[in-house]
Order: sequence, then structure tokens, then C-alpha cells
Amino acid sequence: MAPPRSDTTTAGVRLLSQRKAAILEAKNLCKFYGSVLAVQNVTFTLEPGQVLGYLGPNGSGKSTTVKIVTGLLEPTHGEVTYKGQNIPKDLIAYRKILGYVPEEPNLYPHLTGEEYLDMVGTLRAMPQSRKGTRITSLLQLFSLWPHRHFALGSYSKGMRQKILLIAALMDNPDVLILDEPLSGLDVTSVLIVKSLIQALSAQGKSVFYCSHILEVVEKVCSRLIVLRKGHVLAHGPTAVVREKIGKSSLEDAFLQLVEEIDVTQVVNYIVDVVACS
Amino acid sequence: MISRTRQGLEGRRSAFCRTPFGCLVGLFASRMFRGGGDAEAGELDIGVGVILILLAMPGLLVSLLMFEKYGSLVRFLRGQGPFNPFSATIPDEYFFIILSLVVTGAATLWRWDAIFLDRRDYINLVPLPRAIFFANLFAILCLAGVFAFVANAASLFLFPVAVVGSQPSLSLFLRFAAGHAAAVFSASVFSFFLIFAPAGLLTALLPSAAFRRVSLAIRFVSVIALSVLLATSFTVPDLLKRVSVTNAHRIVILPPISFLGIARTVWVGRNDTFSVAMAWAAMIAVGLSALIAIVAYTFTFRRSFMRLPELADARPMPRISPSISPIAFLHKRLWRSPSQRACCKFVARSLLRSTVHLQTLLCFLAVGLVVSAESLSSLSLHFFVESNTSPPVEFLSIPFILSYCLLVGMRFAFEIPLDLRANWIFRLWLDPDRHDSRSVARRVLLMFSLFCLGPLTFLCTLEFWGWTTALLHTTVWCACTVVLVEILLVRFRKVPFTCQYPPFQSHSPLIVVGYLFGFFIFQTWLPRLDQWSVYDPILAVWFVPLLGSVLGGLSWYRSQMLDMDKRLTFENVSTTIFL
Repeated sequence: MAPPRSDTTTAGVRLLSQRKAAILEAKNLCKFYGSVLAVQNVTFTLEPGQVLGYLGPNGSGKSTTVKIVTGLLEPTHGEVTYKGQNIPKDLIAYRKILGYVPEEPNLYPHLTGEEYLDMVGTLRAMPQSRKGTRITSLLQLFSLWPHRHFALGSYSKGMRQKILLIAALMDNPDVLILDEPLSGLDVTSVLIVKSLIQALSAQGKSVFYCSHILEVVEKVCSRLIVLRKGHVLAHGPTAVVREKIGKSSLEDAFLQLVEEIDVTQVVNYIVDVVACS
Repeated sequence: MISRTRQGLEGRRSAFCRTPFGCLVGLFASRMFRGGGDAEAGELDIGVGVILILLAMPGLLVSLLMFEKYGSLVRFLRGQGPFNPFSATIPDEYFFIILSLVVTGAATLWRWDAIFLDRRDYINLVPLPRAIFFANLFAILCLAGVFAFVANAASLFLFPVAVVGSQPSLSLFLRFAAGHAAAVFSASVFSFFLIFAPAGLLTALLPSAAFRRVSLAIRFVSVIALSVLLATSFTVPDLLKRVSVTNAHRIVILPPISFLGIARTVWVGRNDTFSVAMAWAAMIAVGLSALIAIVAYTFTFRRSFMRLPELADARPMPRISPSISPIAFLHKRLWRSPSQRACCKFVARSLLRSTVHLQTLLCFLAVGLVVSAESLSSLSLHFFVESNTSPPVEFLSIPFILSYCLLVGMRFAFEIPLDLRANWIFRLWLDPDRHDSRSVARRVLLMFSLFCLGPLTFLCTLEFWGWTTALLHTTVWCACTVVLVEILLVRFRKVPFTCQYPPFQSHSPLIVVGYLFGFFIFQTWLPRLDQWSVYDPILAVWFVPLLGSVLGGLSWYRSQMLDMDKRLTFENVSTTIFL
């Protein structure tokens, strides 16, 4: 039985119908782990050149949505379509146009950075010469060239994140799905990646950007989805979402939407507990 | 009263565990049993209880077999009269000593990496204001005690019951039990410290990168040594009877033979000066090994612990130049699709670089080498000198034994997971319906076995028996190896190392028996058939229907399998442990 639609979903569907030439569409995505709800009625579209921000507190269902969109997880209800085609029909062809940076930089620790990228390039069926050139150039540009023969187990979190970014970018994908891509990166790399996302977007790439860092989301994303406990709370252009809630910054808007607790009060409680003799 | 004592002990134990020192000891002891260090991969968390049962099982089985040999009813039915338990049981006592050495040694080798603290311990414990040196030392000593006790627990009681249980004298029983306990317990402690001492010494002497490589070699040699001990345990007592007294004096003070002296000294008293000398030699060996281990540990502890953050594999990995490597040439020819190429590289690198996987493979290979050496040692030299004779079965069996051990070892290693959280890359890129993981595994197995052992087999046979024999023998061996690979992979449907450990099921022991039976076929029957075919090449034709029928059967079996059972999987829900 299909779950009932909320007003937000209906609004999402209306927005969906207004959009044209969407490269990626998620329709009424629902996922239950047993009886536990992870996401419900999540609907959005991703157009060429668009950066869609996906926001939500811990456990709100962001990563579940990302896994469904990448085809790593099957939704309980709903579907994801790429250019109108349901993605399970040809998952491998779909993933060929996909660049994915997962939430955690889990890599095989015994492989070197270069070997890992070579493996990803081979799995993506990239031609040998192009693969070699891209790996060399990207490793140099991301300042990992001197470390290319070192085991990934010895890399810092930021270095592993860079490897994941290179792996996602190396085959020039049409759609980028980035789950906390700035996690662990140094300041310079953060600036580079932020600008890179905008540059890629300007080139017509679609970016699905999942993050906690509101400041980055505000600057980078053209549209926003705010999620809480698996439900879509707000969906629309970033400025519209902010104005709709009547807050000056996205941070305030986000707190208004998703948090039920008084941040100052919690901080005071923690200080009391720590200082208590 | 018993319950009050138990409550008191329990209370003291929980009070000790609540102290900072007790908490640390508990933490280190559980790490030594369960792993939980840096290696998310390859740590088989089977629980303390199961580990202890596995350690105790060999002693229990051998002790039960002793009832068949020394049981009074069995002896009566056989018409055998009374016997002197202190002299008649020497060969069995020696076997128990060897068993004790081997079981404790194997367990220590298995936990080799977990004895010293690792990076996770460093991260968690360095900020805490507690000295961890004594806690880890205490945990190590506890581990030695537990290994020694558990490995011999069954035989401490059952062996004396089997031998002197029917005697009316309790003092005789106690004397026999005490002698046996002292000997096997000392042997276990000796084995533990003998294997632990090099770990400490190597950590002190070598740089970290070199230590990793050398420690693997040491473990490989240790497995060979333990296998040799086990393989020769039945022949050494006979050998001792035949050596001259002068030579015997030199031999018997060497461990493990000297541990017999401990048992004999308790059994027959200090009057037997020969046994007393043996016992002294054994005690000195135990003391020295413990001393070296503890001194090495003391000197290296701080150094190794404080350098842990620097040991994060911060060194370039060894590489093979693709342009000159024969592997690169084979790689291009053997693996056609991109996913096959990627998986093959991944499997080969994991096997050769991951310590746990390489250790598993080397362990199986060590057993193969020992069995091969034993097989060769029974050959007389004239077979190699006289070119007219056909090659003996013992010689022909060597590639069969080695390939069996290598292939089963690799197949076993495929089941050991390697950082499961990282397998998302394969989940993302491999099509479960199209990817032929079996084909990848098959080619890797064949590459490692045929390309490593094939040329050696051919050249060695060619050297002694000429072209025809070498060709026939190598062909027959290759065909048998191919069939073995097909059997090993009949239900295989995953990328090696990407699934969790297979669950233990009721018929898993049957599978183990199947593997032992397979070893028997490879060691005995197939080399004999091979010998006939070498003797008369026409007979080699019989191999075609024989192996063809096995392949046909396997093919039919796979055709009966449901499609869903052939799909690539990342969840280990297979019905058997290996198949």
C-alpha cells in the first residue's frame, strides 16, 4: 500500500511538473528498514547545471536518499529515473554518468592512491591512455602526486577525501552526487572544491550536494531540500526557502525548520555537567 | 561453602575488573582473543568460548583415543597383560608434548599481531593518565597461562584415567597425572614464549617496515617448524631407541625431547640421573625463552608504543613495473573485460599485501611443504640416479600436494573479509547479473598454481626422466589442478574478500572432512594414476573420461542452480563454508 502524501509532497510534485528537461528525477521515494522509517515521499528533480542542496540533521535520511539515488539501495516505494528511464533498467549505464563521493572515505588500506584510482578507472571502463592522463593530472592538481605510491591506510582523512573526489571526477560524469565532500579537507582544498562545484555547474553538470555545512550550501546550491526524520520540510530555490521562513540566514532558517531544542539551553546544560564537581 | 567461595572469588574478580589496572588488563586480554585492532579486516570474532573449545579439541580427541590403546577392557579382550605405565606411555607422552607445543604455538602465531598494542590502543590510551606497560604484560602472562591450560585441559585428566585409571592405587594415578601435567604445561609455556620472544626482539632490532616483512617470514618458518614437529612425532621415540647412548645424551637435552625428562623425573623420582638432566635442560629452556621474551618486551614496549603513530604504512608500496612484468603480459591476455581486470588486480594485491591473507596462504603452503618433504624423505636416492626407472609416486605426488594446499589456502583466504566498508566501490560498479566473479576467481587460482608450480614440475621431471615423462606428468597434473579449481568454485559468486565470514552451519564439519578426503586423493590416488600413465602413456587416456565426468557433473550441478544463486553477492549467505 502506498503511504499517504503530505502537502509538502504535493507541492514537490507541482514543482516537478513545472520543471523541464530534468536529468534525474526522484519520485515519492520511501525507504523502511524493517518497520523503521528512513525516508518518506521524497520527491525532487535535478536539472543540468543545477546544484541541489540536501540538508538535514543526523539520522534524517540524507545518506539513505543518496544510496537510493546511486542505486546502492532499493527504495521500498518510489523510483529514480535518469532521462525518463527507471535507473534499475540499466544501472551500469546510469552509473557511468555518475560521480559519487560517499559520506565516509572508506577505501582499501592496502592499495596505493594511484592503484585505487586505476581500479576505479578500470571499473568505469575508461580507455587506458585517458585514464592514465587523468589520474596523473588530478593527483598533481589535488597535491597528492608525491603520495601516489603510498598505501591509502597511511593517508589522512582529507587525503582520502581527495582521492574520492578524484575518483568521482576522473571520468567527467554528467551527475555528481556528493555526500559531505568537504569533510576533513584543509581550507585551501575547501575553497577549491567549492569553486569547482560552481564551475562544473556552469559547464552543465548536475550536482546533488548533501551537507551539514550550511554556509557552503548557501553559497554553492541553487536549490534546497530540507529533510527531517525522513520527511521533506522545505523544497525550492535557496533564497525562497530562507525568505519563506522569514530568516536572514540559512542557519537560522535551518534551525527553525529542523531543530526542536534550544541550542543555548543545551550548551548551558553541558557546561554545567562538565563543571560540576 | 562452595557457593560462598565462588561468590567470594567472583566478588574479587569484579572488584579487580573495576580498578583501572584490571580494566586495562581486561581490555588487552579481550583484544588478544578477539583482535579489534586496526584490522577491521580479517578479524574473525568467533567468541572466547569457541576459541577455547578449538584449542582444547585436539587434546580431547587424542586423549579419547588413548582409551582404545590402554583401556583395561580393551587390553583384556586383546589378550594383553599388565604393563608399566611409566615406560609404555613414553611415545604417547611425547606426542602429547608435541601436541601441546603445536596447539599453543599455533594459537600464539594466530594472535601474533594482537599481543603488542596497536594504533587504536595508542589513540585511546595515550591521553589517559595510566601506565599500560604492566597491564599488557600481565595480560600476556595470563594469555600464556590460559593457552597452556586450555590446550592441555582434557589430557590432564583423561590421559591418566586411560592409562592408570584401572589401577587401585590413587598415589600412582596422582603421580602419573602430575608428571604428565608438568611436562605438557611446561611445553606449552615454552612454545608460547619461544614464538613471542622473536616478536619482541625483532621489534627492538628492526625498523617498522622491515619488521612487517621479517615477521611474516618468521611466522612462515614457525608454521613449518610446528608442522615438522607434528609430522615427526611418531618417529622420534623409535629413533631415540636406536641411537647410541653417546649421541642420545646430546639429543635428549634438546626441546621438545627434553620435556619427557620432566615427566620421567616426576614418575620415577630423582634416581634416574638421565631423566633429571633432561628435566633440567627443559626447565632451562622454558626459563630462557620466558626471560628473553619478557626482557625483549620490556625494552621494546615504550619504543614500539610511542612510535605507533609513525607506523601508519607511511612508505611507498612495492610495485612491479608493468612493462617488464610477465604478470602484466598475462594480465592483458587473460582478463578481457574491465571489471575482470580491476577485480584481478585487486585480488592479487590483496593476497600479497594483506598480512592476514598472506599469512593464511603461507600457513597452508607450509603444511604442503612439510608433507612434500616427508614424502621425499621416504625416497631412496637410486630413483634419481637411474634414469631407466619410472618416477616414484612420492616424487610425482609433490606438485599434487603443493597445488592442493595452495589452492585450498587461497580459497580459504578468499573467505576472509578485507575492510567490508570499502566494498561499496564494487557494489557501485559491478553488475550482479553480468559480472562473472567465478571466472575471476578461477583465473586467479590457476595463475597462482599453474604458473608458479607448472614450470617447476616440468623442469624437475625433465631433469631426471626426460621429455615424455615430464610432458605427461605436467599435463596430468595441470588437468587435475583445473578440475580441483572447478570443484572449489562450484558455488562461488562473489568478489574475493568482499563478504563477511560465512556462517558456521551444521554440515560445515562435513565440508572439512571432504577437504581432508580431497587431500588424501591428491596425495595418494592421483599420483598413483599419474605413475601408471607415465609408465604406459596409453593409460593416460583414462584421465580424459575420469576428469571429464567430474567436470560434466559440476557443469550439470551448476545448470540446476537457480539464477539467484549465481548472482554476484556481497552478503555471505552461502550454505557452506567454502562451496
